[in-house]
Amino acid sequence: MEMKSGGLSRRDTIIAGLGGLFALGYKGANAQGQANLTFWSVRLNTPELSAALKGILEQFQRENPGIKITHEPVSGNLVYPKFMAAIRGQSMPDIAEAYSYHPLQFAAADQMEPMDDIIKEWQGNGLLADISNEFAYKKFLWKDHYWGVPYNLDIRAIYYRKDLLEAKGIQPPKTWAEFEKAVLATHDPSKGVYGLAFPAGNFHIAQHYYMAFMFQAGGSILDKDGNLIFGTKAKDANVRALTFLTDFHTKHKVTPPGIASHNTDDSHTIFVQGRAAFGMGAGLMISRIMKENPSMFDKVGILEVLEGPAGPSGRLTAGFYNPMFVWKHSPGKEAAKTFVRWFVQPGRLEPLYRAAPGQHWPIFKRDAGTPRVMENRLLREALTNVVPYATDFAYPGFGRPEMGVIDGEKMFAAPVNEVVVGAKTPEKAVLDAHAAMARLFT
Amino acid sequence: MLAQQRKRMAFWLILPTLLLIVAFKIAPIIEGVVVSFQAQSMMRPNPDAFVGWTHYKRAIFEEGVFGAALWRTIVWTFGSVAGAYFVGLSIALLLNREFAGRTLFRALFLIPWVIPEVATALLWKWAYGDEFGVINFLLMRLGVLETPILFLSSPGAAMASVIVVQIWKLYPIMFITLLAALQSVPRELHESAEIDGATVWQRFVYVTFPYIRPTSVIITLLAAIWTFQNFDIIYLLTGGGPADATKILPTLVYEKGFWGLELGYASAISLLMLLCLTVLSVAYLFVYRAQREET
Repeated sequence: MEMKSGGLSRRDTIIAGLGGLFALGYKGANAQGQANLTFWSVRLNTPELSAALKGILEQFQRENPGIKITHEPVSGNLVYPKFMAAIRGQSMPDIAEAYSYHPLQFAAADQMEPMDDIIKEWQGNGLLADISNEFAYKKFLWKDHYWGVPYNLDIRAIYYRKDLLEAKGIQPPKTWAEFEKAVLATHDPSKGVYGLAFPAGNFHIAQHYYMAFMFQAGGSILDKDGNLIFGTKAKDANVRALTFLTDFHTKHKVTPPGIASHNTDDSHTIFVQGRAAFGMGAGLMISRIMKENPSMFDKVGILEVLEGPAGPSGRLTAGFYNPMFVWKHSPGKEAAKTFVRWFVQPGRLEPLYRAAPGQHWPIFKRDAGTPRVMENRLLREALTNVVPYATDFAYPGFGRPEMGVIDGEKMFAAPVNEVVVGAKTPEKAVLDAHAAMARLFT
Repeated sequence: MLAQQRKRMAFWLILPTLLLIVAFKIAPIIEGVVVSFQAQSMMRPNPDAFVGWTHYKRAIFEEGVFGAALWRTIVWTFGSVAGAYFVGLSIALLLNREFAGRTLFRALFLIPWVIPEVATALLWKWAYGDEFGVINFLLMRLGVLETPILFLSSPGAAMASVIVVQIWKLYPIMFITLLAALQSVPRELHESAEIDGATVWQRFVYVTFPYIRPTSVIITLLAAIWTFQNFDIIYLLTGGGPADATKILPTLVYEKGFWGLELGYASAISLLMLLCLTVLSVAYLFVYRAQREET
């Protein structure tokens, strides 16, 4: 029986109770008007980087007492399941930093807040002109809006053993022909040294090394208008690059025999242990050498980006400008943007760069030549030999959400893996990969 | 009256479990069926658009990935279950004999069962590695090999290698179940068969096996269902490679759903996989019922 006067009915009690629970659970803003924001990070989760990030977040909260940031690390392996579950449950974080193409993919799902205002501000205050490469921010431009802003650069480089080259009287190679000659000359199984270590496994980062050779051969995945040309107009160059790279394994046999199951960490480890004359690696290799085999530091160099069949204009390598983005339905959207504006500032992320030298690179030119970089020879070499040539893998096109799926489904890793194990010829592998990519663009 | 009360009581007791099953099993399956008929790609507008049998046709007739992955799943399941049954039965027969330390060995052989799948995969990844793996290291150090065996890098060896891991993970449940069944075999039958001159093999085939056959059928069917839908071990060891040599249905669903962002297509493949699992489950129920009627 319901009580209509002098008390609450059962229904009123339930509604009041649910309302109370909602109020307790709602994190958007509290009674003092403080904005509570959730920040997911994917690429800043090692103990060193987490500690550095914690300090940066504390500094932000000291300077912005009205905004509280709750940081949640997201495992790289679970990044898509976690974000997709969040989209379906409408429980996305207010702010996130994640992989290169996430903002465009989430924008395609109508979940992203445009960041045009921040880009416009950067245009006005000169920060945009200070960004090292226009692809760094234009890769987030899709359907006339910027869906993310870059905050760091992740590089791919070729490391080499200076001592082994000197012993053979070889200069650090600058062209494909010199590179091939040097790799073959330094391969020495009797001393347990492979000529070249590169990952050819069915993994995401493994595919990024082929990308560099693709650009250097004059190939690409997209044209400048964003059309897929991987297996059509760019086929010959892409096949040439694939043949050049995989020949080191299949024809010259100067790589570790099991590279078909290797991920980047495996190649890093082989090089850091001193078991390869040349090693393809991410910027993280510098940290690993400094930490795990410091005695090798002086014996290692970083090659200038090679010149291939496309000549000087093709001297490019893959570089990943990683984004920060804001959820469209966040109750604290403006506070989230305040955080992004504060976070992506020259000098702000120096603690991250110090925590893992080489793993993350600033996007602003003025941050590049700091004493931290200039006093570390490998960082200095990476800065001059690699960073200026690092470009997005949609090059010469700009942002396309489809590129995230190409990367995610490893459509670009598949050709390297298939050729290395002898399952396909380079031409067939490129054509099959094109067919798989084409489905996304229809 | 009492019977009615007991029925009502039973209903209330079973209701919480029923609600949980509906919420966490039935509802997601229904959602999966709905999604499989919708566009549901994060790369396309209008995700809720009805697309009929498009995803199913694409999986079965257009791309060929489903057929190839299904075949690999069958090889993976059959190899793992047959291998685990053979190993489990061998150990059970051995540990069914009287000898000192039998209890300790029974406990030791159960260890793989209690190790989590992720840890199992990492453990075997370290064992199989061509450059850093303990198996290749020992064989090369002993002079047995000159070059490492490419357990995970060769398309020919990768499936066999992951099957060995699944056998390692699966044999303890086989062994413990079969050991329990073996203990129900009357000792007198063995003794009289021995007196009659039956060989060890004849005693196993005509005396032991008829007793453990019902248990064997049930446990192999259950193991087949578990293995068919297993994801972690292959995903962590090979990621489905090299050159798709170990891409089974669960890894294909994960790749299409989470990396390809095609939830509709991934749901359709999942439901086709569910159909295959239903065949196994129905077989299990038939066998289970038939055996109950026999007893």
